[in-house]
Amino acid sequence: MSAAVTAPAGGAPAASRGILLMLLLPGLVALVITFLLPLLWLFRASFASSAVGALSGGDWTSEAYTTVLFDPFYWRVAWNTLVLGFNVAIFAVILSYPIALFLARTQSRFRGVLTALAVAPLLTSSVVRTYGWMVILGDRGVINSTLQALSLTDGVIRLTNNSFGATVALIEILMPYAILAMLSGFGRLNVQLEEAAAMLGANRLKVFTRIVLPLSLPGVLTAALLVFVLAISSFVTPRLMGGGRVFVLGTEVFNEATVTLNWPLAAALSVMLLVLFSSIILLYQRALRALEV
Amino acid sequence: MADHHVIIENLVKTYPGAQKPSVDHVSFSLPRGEMLALLGPSGCGKTTILRMIAGLIVPSSGAIRLDGRDVSSIPVYKRNMGMVFQAYALFPHMTVAENISFGLEMRKVGRAEREERVRKALDLVKLAGFGERKVSQLSGGQQQRAAIARSLVIEPELLLLDEPLSNLDAKLRDEMRDEIRDIQARTGVTAIFVTHDQDEALSMADRLAVMSAGRLEQIGTPREIFDRPQTDFVASFIGAGTFFEGKVAGPGVAAVDGLPPLRFVGEAAVGSPVRLMVRPHRLLLAGEDGQPNSFTGTVEHIVYRGQILTLSVRCGSRLLQADLPTHAGVLPQKGDQVTLTVAPEDVTLIGREAA
Repeated sequence: MSAAVTAPAGGAPAASRGILLMLLLPGLVALVITFLLPLLWLFRASFASSAVGALSGGDWTSEAYTTVLFDPFYWRVAWNTLVLGFNVAIFAVILSYPIALFLARTQSRFRGVLTALAVAPLLTSSVVRTYGWMVILGDRGVINSTLQALSLTDGVIRLTNNSFGATVALIEILMPYAILAMLSGFGRLNVQLEEAAAMLGANRLKVFTRIVLPLSLPGVLTAALLVFVLAISSFVTPRLMGGGRVFVLGTEVFNEATVTLNWPLAAALSVMLLVLFSSIILLYQRALRALEV
Repeated sequence: MADHHVIIENLVKTYPGAQKPSVDHVSFSLPRGEMLALLGPSGCGKTTILRMIAGLIVPSSGAIRLDGRDVSSIPVYKRNMGMVFQAYALFPHMTVAENISFGLEMRKVGRAEREERVRKALDLVKLAGFGERKVSQLSGGQQQRAAIARSLVIEPELLLLDEPLSNLDAKLRDEMRDEIRDIQARTGVTAIFVTHDQDEALSMADRLAVMSAGRLEQIGTPREIFDRPQTDFVASFIGAGTFFEGKVAGPGVAAVDGLPPLRFVGEAAVGSPVRLMVRPHRLLLAGEDGQPNSFTGTVEHIVYRGQILTLSVRCGSRLLQADLPTHAGVLPQKGDQVTLTVAPEDVTLIGREAA
């Protein structure tokens, strides 16, 4: 009797597991073909001696890594990339935080509209927005021509074709992502907690430092990570705003792959970028766990 | 009145763009150590009053006096009042002890004294040993206790509770009801709580302030409110009852359409219109017709509710509601002819003070 009852019960999960696997299969196949295989190929290519070798199998060599690890130029490129990423992440987060905090706390009935406006820049391609920044920051751009017309400066202040321009443009371009990430991470913020703190004797500054800031940190951290990762992997904006004078991993991978045609080196640089990503994400997860436990 | 601990004077709150004030010239006062319930349906302004007293909402006009001093212009964080929020509002990133300690830190109380007072507060609400827990590791009732401890540890002038029991399940609610009453009595703190639940208000409060549409309808002890409602609203909001409109036919006698004359106790001028009410539990089964205030009719409806049996009895055009104790011998059946009687002193004259 009991066996008759338990047998179907024991069989059901197995059957549903089978169905689950079947449902997962299309996605898995797609991921393997579009993500895992290219990644493996990238890995293999970084150990090849030439582009041809990478495609046909060929021999294994760590030449590309030797170049990457022992040529000071690539260390500078990696360093530039990190500096760009940190600068962009810090300023994008600082500038987005008040906006996100306002959007999260406002009781206004225009809240939806305002949120949409804050992330509306995402509707335009970052290429277009980069060109917008070139118009503003360029040698004959809005800022320089205004300063000259007012006779405040004699010559041109270089705001583009350097890492400053790239940083400024990236900050603005990535701010909507920062705002979105923060909004999703502000779930624990709650006006009633602020009221409770005030009832207990906390003034506005104390309410902010003791309640709002700690509770919004997970959102801030998520936003910083997202912006950092997007910044260090960016290519278009550093390339255009840097005018070929800003060397970061993104631009170097492009250069080696399409200009120099040194695919093993491009692959090795990509693997480096990947290692950088993974270590940052690991750090982030540790920090987040420390915050929430 | 003038020496009362808390005095609310002509408090008004009109929100911008609103046609009518949310709180309309409300005045009441509490002696030290009293527990007052602000009772009313949702939207009656009771929570607005509580939040104005707390300082979370700025009143349009009126005064809030603590020991004679108007605190209306004092910011929230300097008012020294404790508030227990409906959803408790415990800080999720702090332990229970840190939550309770927060108000003491804001008051720059030294570490040793802080720890001592936190421990005592935890003892008071029976949460000893829970100090190091995270808020999320507490049950609903424990969170409620922690919130009470947090608001009491600062030794507030006044304890404010916003729907303190509404987030608890029925069994826990009864337990916390006694618990809150007990803690309030032991600490002697003056307390105001907001509720829409009349049982909660009647059983917990020393006095009740019944609100409707921004106005204070009546304030009094649970007995006064229940037995001598002064307005139609209070009579119908608190408890059930059968209402009669009539005219005073003589001293203590009212003529009511379709019923024998109704005797009542109270002063009312002969010829004036009156509204009378009889609570269901005041109607008794009578042996025979002929006694004063007896009504004969047919049982239309019966609801068995364990300890009591609720009857709807058709008397002419009227339906009388009566609650009979179920231990009272033979119980009437649906369709039976019954005679109900009510003592004149149990007939409530609405809108007049008790005679």
